[in-house]
Amino acid sequence: MRISRGIKLAVALGLLASAAACGGGSGSGGGGDQVELTLLSHYSDGPSKEGLDKMIQEWNKENPKIQVKSQVVKFDDLLTTMTVRQTGGRGADIVSAYGLWGGQLLKANVVAKVPDDIAAKIKAEYSPAALGAVTTGDTLLGYPTELNTYVLFYNKKILAAAGISKPPTTWAELADAAKKTVQRDAKGNIQVEGLSLIQDGDNKSVHPFLSLLDSAGGKFLAPDGTAQFDDAAGKAALKFESDLAAAKATNPSISPTKQFRSGGVAMAIQAGWWIGSLKTQMKDHYSTDVGVAAIPGPTPGSKGSLAYGFFMGVNQRSKHAAEAWKFLTWMNEHKTPDGKVTETGKWLADQGLIPPRTADQAEYKKSLSDPNLAPIYDAATYAMAEPNQPGAYEAKTALHNAIMGVLADGKNSDDALAQAAKAVKPQ
Amino acid sequence: MVAPTRRLGKLHREGRAAYLFLSPALLFFCVFLILPFVFAIVLAFSDWGGFDLGTLKWAGTSNFRDVLSFNGIFVKPILVNTLLFAFGSVFLATFGSVLVAYCIDRLSFQGFWRVLYFLPVVATVVAIGNVWKMMYQPAGLINGVLNKLGVNSIGFLSDASYALPSVTVVQAWASIGGAVLILTAGLKAIPTQYYEAAEVDGANSWHLFWSITLPLLRPALLFVLITQFIGGLQSFALIIVMTGDGGPVNATNVAAFEMYQRAFKYGAWGTASAMAMVLFVIILAITLLQLWIARRRGEETS
Repeated sequence: MRISRGIKLAVALGLLASAAACGGGSGSGGGGDQVELTLLSHYSDGPSKEGLDKMIQEWNKENPKIQVKSQVVKFDDLLTTMTVRQTGGRGADIVSAYGLWGGQLLKANVVAKVPDDIAAKIKAEYSPAALGAVTTGDTLLGYPTELNTYVLFYNKKILAAAGISKPPTTWAELADAAKKTVQRDAKGNIQVEGLSLIQDGDNKSVHPFLSLLDSAGGKFLAPDGTAQFDDAAGKAALKFESDLAAAKATNPSISPTKQFRSGGVAMAIQAGWWIGSLKTQMKDHYSTDVGVAAIPGPTPGSKGSLAYGFFMGVNQRSKHAAEAWKFLTWMNEHKTPDGKVTETGKWLADQGLIPPRTADQAEYKKSLSDPNLAPIYDAATYAMAEPNQPGAYEAKTALHNAIMGVLADGKNSDDALAQAAKAVKPQ
Repeated sequence: MVAPTRRLGKLHREGRAAYLFLSPALLFFCVFLILPFVFAIVLAFSDWGGFDLGTLKWAGTSNFRDVLSFNGIFVKPILVNTLLFAFGSVFLATFGSVLVAYCIDRLSFQGFWRVLYFLPVVATVVAIGNVWKMMYQPAGLINGVLNKLGVNSIGFLSDASYALPSVTVVQAWASIGGAVLILTAGLKAIPTQYYEAAEVDGANSWHLFWSITLPLLRPALLFVLITQFIGGLQSFALIIVMTGDGGPVNATNVAAFEMYQRAFKYGAWGTASAMAMVLFVIILAITLLQLWIARRRGEETS
């Protein structure tokens, strides 16, 4: 039942009064016949900012009547900033967002429908993993941008010292390698962690688990948002993690992004973007110490990964949607001077990310400067796309709490999964 | 002598003038307190994903049913954590501040001591949280001292059994300064004749404190208790700074932080507002209970 008009009006007046008190203006506008588009993203520093700024400057030079203005915030503040600005009527014309948020942004009428002709081109020219990560139900949210897949990073030297000459290819081998490489001091404190199953930031324990779940043929959520991770595959994946925790071969209090570089972690399930960080941090040691392989599954030959992506879409409230799509089309389709890849593909690849466009991926795969990139690119062909229907974010948090309960507190893995599944509500 | 009608007219004029002078403050309260409060009540009975008021749907009491369900996480562990955090920090801060204020009242350079204990109040929560976070680290100062004493490192913020007490101690430590300032003023208001008379009657330090200081300090203590409780129940920033996500496994997740997550992360504004209403009722109930206890003991609080 829709809420009554009177209440809606009262609420709207209340918000208007608050907005008036707080001040504020339009997110886009312009003088005369010039249009100014705002683009909100988390590309706030380093090569990501430089690359985007370069493209925007080029566009602004060629299109004096449609000027694009970049607005950046840190990733941790991106969703909150979008929420506050949109509610206050000052949302950006173009939004760059994490695919996981797609469902709630769609439900709240933030992202506009992609025009049919553009949607058809995107569906034809982008990889399935990239499309899956930025599609909610049947609705495409915008142009896929960043694409990341999960792989197994390992320290060649630590594995060699434990008598392991090649990366593990099954869960049994992975568990064996983790137990052989773990090192503790006299008091039992871990000096070298065998296999890290967590990561820093928002994804914590979920993405590594979902990669293992995918390798066992499991699924995270059904299309209607109900939990599917508590089936046999999910139980097997969490049992695998639980056994490693019981054997003290994994420890969630060890941060892989801090410890791996200095030899404190033998293996870690991480996203492909990590390569760039490791190269910077480890310098010459990177090529001698770091290896990357597909995340093995429970049986020989099986493997799994998770793909998550970002997208750039147009705000439903934008007064200049046509111009916004025009800019986005140019940004995502125009080629580099040598004509081999798109400028956006190059911008992403330069940051160590997988370009989402199939042709760009194929071009980059021909001449990968680093053999460790090959498994990351390969994973884009088989990875499970991170679901992003409304409620997916909450489901992810519930799952994280279940996994951490098992890894940190030694809870029973089946019980933890069942509890998490109960907390997931289809929306 | 002024005629009654003229006096009434004067009173009306004065009343109008008073309201005129009050209007900026009233407008401020309307815009920043009353309207958001009314909006939160509406949202608590709605399903809204944020951003667009056109998507607001009436949800009846379903948000409250979800929030208060024992199958969910709000009642346990979040509400339990919130109450433990508030009670724990208030108990520690009140006990500590009474002790500190009582000692300061008997020392030289009282201004210096008061400033010293007030410094944490001036410092930002972010700074305090980060400093304590570093001290709590496995290789931090506190574990360093424990290791020197032959005790193994404790995961103060990574172990679910230690995380909430660890954050509670920091909240209490950060609250002591403000409470000390109020209690010192309360101590100064106690006439010295009472102490002199008691000493003549042979009372020792303990008797003086228990029978004179504490009863006469009750108005100041009541103020401290109420404000600290409300602060404790609404605490949010310290949790974010020290644990990032209310972890490990919701061990430090409190009501205000969960509300923030529900609204700004998951777009579940209805649930978040229902939580806010539940917390509002709890705070109101605890505050009224404190006032009632104080009044029952004959304390004039009005």
